[in-house]
Amino acid sequence: MFKQWWLQYKLKRLIKNSKLAALKAHYQYLLTHLHQPISDIKLLALDIEMTGLNHKKDQMVSIGVIPIINAEIQPQFAQYKLMKIEGSVGQSAVIHGILDKDLANALPLEEVLQWLFEQCKDKVLVAHHAQLDLQFLRQSLSSSGAHSFALLGIDTLIIEKEREQRKHPVLKTGSLRLNACRERYNLPIYNAHNALTDALACAELLLAQLNKMGGLDNITLVQLLTKR
Amino acid sequence: MDNSELQPIIDFMRKLAPFDSLPEQGIKQCCQALTIAYYSKQQKLVPVDSNAPQLYIVRSGAFEVTTEQGDLIDRVGEGQYFGFSGLLSGEKVVNQIHILEDGLVYHLPAKMFDELRANSQSFDRFFNQAFAKRLRNQGTLQHDNISTARITHIMSRDLTTITADASIHQAALLMSKKRLSSLVVVDQEKLCGILTDRDLRNRVLAKGLNGDLLVGQIMTKDPVIIEPNVLMFEAMLKMSENNIHHLPVVHVGRPVGIITSTDLIRSQSSQPLLLIGQIERQNSLEALIKVSQKIPDLLHNLISSDAKAIEIGRILTSVTDSLTRRLIVLKQEQLGPAPMGFCWLAFGSQGRQDQMAGSDQDNALILERDTTAAEKDYFKQLSESVCSALNECGFPFCPGNIMAQNPQWQLTLQQWQQQFSSWVKTPQPSALLNATIFFDMRGIFGDLTLLNTLQSSVLKNTKGNDIFIAALSKNALQSTPPLGFFRSFVIERDGSEVKGIDLKHKGNALINDIVRIYALAAGINEVNTTKRLESLMAKSKIDKDIAMSLLDAWEFIAHKRLINQGQQFNNNEPVSNYILPDSLSSLVRHQLKDAFKVIHEAQGTVRLKFLRQF
Repeated sequence: MFKQWWLQYKLKRLIKNSKLAALKAHYQYLLTHLHQPISDIKLLALDIEMTGLNHKKDQMVSIGVIPIINAEIQPQFAQYKLMKIEGSVGQSAVIHGILDKDLANALPLEEVLQWLFEQCKDKVLVAHHAQLDLQFLRQSLSSSGAHSFALLGIDTLIIEKEREQRKHPVLKTGSLRLNACRERYNLPIYNAHNALTDALACAELLLAQLNKMGGLDNITLVQLLTKR
Repeated sequence: MDNSELQPIIDFMRKLAPFDSLPEQGIKQCCQALTIAYYSKQQKLVPVDSNAPQLYIVRSGAFEVTTEQGDLIDRVGEGQYFGFSGLLSGEKVVNQIHILEDGLVYHLPAKMFDELRANSQSFDRFFNQAFAKRLRNQGTLQHDNISTARITHIMSRDLTTITADASIHQAALLMSKKRLSSLVVVDQEKLCGILTDRDLRNRVLAKGLNGDLLVGQIMTKDPVIIEPNVLMFEAMLKMSENNIHHLPVVHVGRPVGIITSTDLIRSQSSQPLLLIGQIERQNSLEALIKVSQKIPDLLHNLISSDAKAIEIGRILTSVTDSLTRRLIVLKQEQLGPAPMGFCWLAFGSQGRQDQMAGSDQDNALILERDTTAAEKDYFKQLSESVCSALNECGFPFCPGNIMAQNPQWQLTLQQWQQQFSSWVKTPQPSALLNATIFFDMRGIFGDLTLLNTLQSSVLKNTKGNDIFIAALSKNALQSTPPLGFFRSFVIERDGSEVKGIDLKHKGNALINDIVRIYALAAGINEVNTTKRLESLMAKSKIDKDIAMSLLDAWEFIAHKRLINQGQQFNNNEPVSNYILPDSLSSLVRHQLKDAFKVIHEAQGTVRLKFLRQF
């Protein structure tokens, strides 16, 4: 009850203060759909590859998104973007496989942010370990002068953590990693660390989790939304 | 690379039959068009919208397709499909999809599915419900591969013909001018004879006749001919059996070419005949054992030349026949001529001419009359010698002791007739179960009229004999083909899972059983399953669609058996009919499943027609 009240209040304030029209629309979508079942809501699974894990000093390199509409993942609307960075990808190339030369034709950060928020005007963000991705997005929003705003989304890691903790209070290290989670739902293992593949992997995981939790028709957005 | 490609989906689809036959662009289009859903056991059933059919591709998990009444139709796992029957037929989906294990499923919209079928023949063929058509197409593809072994490719197409009213002088001039050893004689484009060098020598010159005679007086009328699309081996066999060197190739009455022994030798593909020739030249058991050690190599070569299974069966059986004959002749050289007429019979696979690797021997003797002690001893020595020699040549003793050396199966014609009528007139299903192979009999050596007399009296008793046919049907329906494959298991019709499948007993043997019932009911004297089916069709004693589907299914399963045996041979494993699902590609799994379905349906027809069970 408290969460509902708080979310409504928070979203109304965000709508009021937000200067970016697309972002305003996004908050409005969340607010009007808070009590809708997930099957009626459009979702956008995303994953971001970065030069490191510190949102204060590291930069985003690539982003992949894939929508879930009518409870089905839609590969035809999947998109992938590379972002211009300052300096070099450095050692992070080992993880995401993107080299400095791949970024030669990358888009400026502002352009990607604009594209992304245009995408989620009528969608809810979903990510695995959403905290990290949303923090990076929030950081770049504020550094591009658009003020710092809270971003809300569905986090498959938090969902998994809550589900697993009900079974065993102490979780093993690594048991919440994307592939470890997927294995529990009989989902195939993909080669990780491509932003688009990970976005797909996250979308599939969410569908699996929600099906296990009683079905997409029986869970509302407010039950899943977490703030970062 | 387009950055928005979803590599994991593309990687999966690329390996999946029939998508694997699509061009790269087509696969990408599919991956773009599909949507992904997850189904959990808690939901029990996959919600299927009958107004919007789509193809369901299982990415993970397991599902079961049943009828509304709950009868199991299929069980599918990763890389298998459901929902396509509605797409193909346009009928409303009534089957239910039960979720056995949670999993991810790709949905391919009907529009994309139809587009792929329209653009790709192999895609369409794969999903086409008319499995007969699908297997048939598969058959024609194989044909092309083995073209080199067929006579169409070595026969002379530049056919020189002459009419019967020409003089032999004109014929000789033509032959000499064109450097030919023979001429085909035609009457209004139809073949009416052949004139060869040998005819001119033996029938004209040697007799002092002159060149004014007409071709029609000298030629061989109605010569032995051959169809265009047969294996070279069969052309060789025909030449050697008839002691001739020229075979007109005739297609629907019209000569289309000629083939000579020289053409065949030149084609270098005479291995089976060479082997038979070698067998006929050997004068000792030791030498015959040595020659028969080449049979596995022959089989292996035939498999790798991708000959049809039915032809391989015929070739291997011809080798066994020659070996048997040669062994009898050699023993008779020792024992002296037989004291009476007799016929050496072969039953089972040798009888049906569909022997493959590891076949055991099933044989017997028909004797002209009762034997004295001395005569009995003659046949004892002969049969024991031949049976044990066959054993040493790689045809193991029959475990059921159905062998010529068993006194129980050295019977006079009359005793055989009594034996058969005890099976036919008072059929006991259990006794009949072991007797079915006797109904696939063929004479190998000796007085074939004994066999023919026996066979026609047997068929007279079986034809239209409802009680006997019902007993036979009851036996044949005791074993059923599997339903299909699920992961690394074979699923039986009752839903149980087994590790592997015996393609002989759960496949070809079931078809042989079905076809035998039809043939005995109709009094048809062929014993080879294909020939029985052809004869049944010609006499309209079987539904043509069923017969064609059974022919295709028989060939397809037998072919897989042979390929499996070829692999076992290569890996130095014991050769068997046993196949593990893991060794099959997804396409072959689908096709085998269709072949099993054909058998299942034909068994249903037998139940209806001969057991009157509805």
